[in-house]
Amino acid sequence: MTVMQGGGSRPSPTGLADVIETILDKGMVIDAYVRVSLVGIEVLTIDARVVIASVDTYLRFAEAVNRLDISQEKEGLPGLVGDMQEGGAKHKTKGMLDAATDKLKDYAGNGERERQGARRSRREED
Amino acid sequence: MSASTREKSRPDAGQQTGVYVYGIVPGDVKLNSGVHGVGDPPGEVRLVRSGELAALVSEVDITKPLGTPEDLQAHAEILDATVTDAPVLPSRFGAVLTNEEAVAEELLDANHDEFAAALRQLERRAEYIVRGRYSEQAILEEVLSEDAEAARLRDRIRGADPDATRELRIQLGEIVNNAIADKRRADTRQLVSAMKDHCVASDVRDATSELDAVYVAFLIEAGKAGELERVVQDLSERWRERVELQVRGPMAAYDFVGTGG
Repeated sequence: MTVMQGGGSRPSPTGLADVIETILDKGMVIDAYVRVSLVGIEVLTIDARVVIASVDTYLRFAEAVNRLDISQEKEGLPGLVGDMQEGGAKHKTKGMLDAATDKLKDYAGNGERERQGARRSRREED
Repeated sequence: MSASTREKSRPDAGQQTGVYVYGIVPGDVKLNSGVHGVGDPPGEVRLVRSGELAALVSEVDITKPLGTPEDLQAHAEILDATVTDAPVLPSRFGAVLTNEEAVAEELLDANHDEFAAALRQLERRAEYIVRGRYSEQAILEEVLSEDAEAARLRDRIRGADPDATRELRIQLGEIVNNAIADKRRADTRQLVSAMKDHCVASDVRDATSELDAVYVAFLIEAGKAGELERVVQDLSERWRERVELQVRGPMAAYDFVGTGG
């Protein structure tokens, strides 16, 4: 499976986060069809989702608003102070976000494994 | 189902292995050998047939937990590779039955007509996911230009001590979050309506990131993916600088199979 960026340029492999959101949250729940012979097995999962509408989200948005470059909208703001604030804030928040993203990327990276040989099922009639 | 079946397929106390179920396909599907499934070491994927149906399965060690990145990728890859050749009812990650007999009798036979009908509906159709994310800077500027209260709060926190202005920041963030949620609803409506004549069905997924703009699964007829691509291209141009759109697929119809019960 491939991903089309912006509707068609360059295909890239599917991210693990997308896979998780699909196969852990969607799909047919076999438990609903089979009861007696179902085997309970431990499933390790990671939650790649951001909790929406928490105070942390609000504070993060406020910080992002705070570091928006307003020089385009307002004249006469002391440039140096503005730059310092923007730089400082960006560093702090971005740093956290980047760390989280890297972690996920590592996780996805480890998951990439060569799967040699066809893995496609074919219909006899086709 | 007879009592003897129940006895046969009930897990034994000392059982070490189980049969992992990836999904259900029509019985006329053939499988290439050497496809590896979930687990460590990964079991070879097999077909368990019954009537018009077959289940894609592999043996797993039930004493070890499942869910490594390799397991998750294997589950998705096996199903998504199948969907281009044959319809498939994808099962949610983690379903294990006691043995192949149980898969044939309790899963396939017991629900035969329902599964066969569902597979007929999915014939020559596949799922595509359209996901869009807002450019943070663009969307924040949009919100500030439209909401006077947000702009006022922004001016009050700018340059102020973050701890002293915590309440104002929370207020500002909440306004921004709600404004983005409104935009998400409006943009999602726009996408779904633009796709109305180009898909069999659509399913709006819950946003999982606060910058999600649209997150919608579409069930699409084979050969109509080009129409989806054109719609996405048009929206990409209309939302240029504002939303980055991605299309994923074809994949198994995870969002369009019943959850049973």
